[in-house]
Amino acid sequence: MTPGPQDPQIVFERELERYLTDQRMTRRQMLARVAAVGAAVALAPVVAACNAAGVTSPSPSAASPSAPGASAPPSATPSPSRSPTPVPSPESELFIYNWDAYIGDHTVADFQSKYGIRVKYDKFPDADTQMTKLRSDGKGGGYDVSYPASTEIPALITDGVLLALDPGLIPNAANLRPEWTSPGYDPGNKYSMPNYWWTTGFAWDPGRIPDDLTSWDALWDIRWKSHMGMLDDQREVFAVAGFRLGLSPNTTSETDLDAMLAILKEQKPLLRKYTDDDIGDVTSGDLWISHAWSGDWYQMIADKPKTKYVVPATGAVRGNDTMVVLSGAKHPIAAQLWINYNLDAQVSANNTNYIGYMGPNAAAEALIDPAITGDQRLNPPQSILDKLVELLYLPPADLDKYTKRWTELRA
Amino acid sequence: MAAPPTPAGAAGVNGTAGAAGTTLSPAVAAIRVPFVNRLAGIVLILPGVLWLALFFLAPLVIILVVSLGTRDAGGHITLANPGVQNYIQATRPEYLPAFANSLRYAGITTILSILIGYPIAYWISRFGGRQKILLLILVMLPFWTSYLIRTYAWMIILRDNGVLNSILQAVGLTNDPIVFLNTDFSVILGMTYGFLPFAILPLFVSIDRMDHHLVEAARDLFASGRAAFLHVTLPLTMPGIIAAALLTFIPAIGDYVTPDLLGGAQTTTIAKIVQVLFTSGRDWPYGSALGFLLMVVTLAGTLLALRTLRREVLA
Repeated sequence: MTPGPQDPQIVFERELERYLTDQRMTRRQMLARVAAVGAAVALAPVVAACNAAGVTSPSPSAASPSAPGASAPPSATPSPSRSPTPVPSPESELFIYNWDAYIGDHTVADFQSKYGIRVKYDKFPDADTQMTKLRSDGKGGGYDVSYPASTEIPALITDGVLLALDPGLIPNAANLRPEWTSPGYDPGNKYSMPNYWWTTGFAWDPGRIPDDLTSWDALWDIRWKSHMGMLDDQREVFAVAGFRLGLSPNTTSETDLDAMLAILKEQKPLLRKYTDDDIGDVTSGDLWISHAWSGDWYQMIADKPKTKYVVPATGAVRGNDTMVVLSGAKHPIAAQLWINYNLDAQVSANNTNYIGYMGPNAAAEALIDPAITGDQRLNPPQSILDKLVELLYLPPADLDKYTKRWTELRA
Repeated sequence: MAAPPTPAGAAGVNGTAGAAGTTLSPAVAAIRVPFVNRLAGIVLILPGVLWLALFFLAPLVIILVVSLGTRDAGGHITLANPGVQNYIQATRPEYLPAFANSLRYAGITTILSILIGYPIAYWISRFGGRQKILLLILVMLPFWTSYLIRTYAWMIILRDNGVLNSILQAVGLTNDPIVFLNTDFSVILGMTYGFLPFAILPLFVSIDRMDHHLVEAARDLFASGRAAFLHVTLPLTMPGIIAAALLTFIPAIGDYVTPDLLGGAQTTTIAKIVQVLFTSGRDWPYGSALGFLLMVVTLAGTLLALRTLRREVLA
């Protein structure tokens, strides 16, 4: 292969060299192109997510039972049994997402054996993780049932994360006490059923603090410096400042919030921590006194029986959480069966007896341990109930007023 | 630094091929080989590039895009009015104390990690003998347990009624428990504990690679042990010290878990502020902007420090 085809060979060589040179030159372009593709790939889901959110949000109160199906993005993986079948025969599986140790110890097992439904029960460590997961795909992150706080419900409904409940599948809703049949966050319980309710007061160790504390002022007492805790929860902390100053914990007034921030700034140097674990920090002895949830106090006394708790008479937060079916639920019938089951008088009483949070269930009351129903700290009398305030959902512009001050306080 | 050889090598081969002139088949072969090499190189680098593009570049771009966005009335991220308003918000002077805490914790952690890690690395390298590998495995042993669990263990040790206070009280050094947990002390202790192995490993590599004969030569020339260390060992192992400092400082400044678990009301770091903005504040654009800003500041600071160090130490 020498003389004759010399020219073409040289041409070939040149072509090859040129090709390589071109390669080198285009590599930069290729990098640019790769970057562009990368950006496009990266941006697509962001934009898509924004668009999906934009599509779902404008139609909040078109809340017919078909709404969640309609609001689910068409590109989503089709789930075979989303819409309730005419004959409600429950599916064979159920995916639940709840707090750890937040239900009667044999409720899940009893449900499984009664209905032959296999329950997969996942737990989350804090409400922020829960919300991130449930909102990850805009329809519940693959779960059928979860337990959001009541304050989350309006936004979850608006965003199409929840499935409208079928009242026909939840006859035990009749067990609810009258004040829970149409709560402010979800009139008529169309999308959620109340689960537990509680108060936010403060707990203390009488071994360290023998005083009989009754007022929020105790959380500003310099004597407990370095042994005092507040919950790591911006709305709850501002609520305490509000009760101390006689201001609403749902205020959106900048002046009110500045006043709250001012006394919280006075309090901060006295604090040991803003705690995520009021139970552990009080029972371990690090905190002598801590802002705490009533149910957490009930768990503290398991380890430290003398721990005290008070709901100050000037006012406190009443919170509740809910049971919901998620719009992406693959087992909606089983999910509503589960909710109905947990509204049963005996099951509801079992749940309360195990963890100490009061339920909204009138029929269950006779079956609850008198040590719980008779304890004013867990089941406050009407005079205190009248002073309790529900934290309301705040739209972003108003929540920002809190966040701005909360981050300033924490920094 | 590792990148240049391939293109340079390829160019060299190309050059010789060109010089070989008209003999055709070897020339073609010479060209074809680097092409294949280049192809092999691309194939080899592809997984890494894809990985970085997917899991580093893409998230970074997402954060950048989100940070330029805003939220609509329902709280959803929208790019309708992109702008830098979040970055302007993120520079609030109110956040300076948290930023100062982050810097302080990361700085002290880095210095302590090097001060503690250097003698350990030196000892393993010089006196480890046959046990070197075993000793290095011991350094890395903590990684076999989750960092979270080890941090919780520190909480148990440092609590008011924890192990440390029990010992101090039993020995009679104190009556009332000393508050260790939820203080600057516990944060720095936890972070130094956590980052120490990251300092020891690069220090070990640079000390172990150093030719010890140079120290002997210095001693032969009547350098004291101290002088030999300061003028021979230290400068020669400076790359290891810089690597150790970078591997400690950069992750330490963004550390969220340790200050959150071992810290308290007075130890808030900027990472916690970012977390608050994302979670209870539900303001992803703002949180992204603050996070991105933190990253840029860290990167700029690191590059500046590296440059200064290189000029002063390695020149």
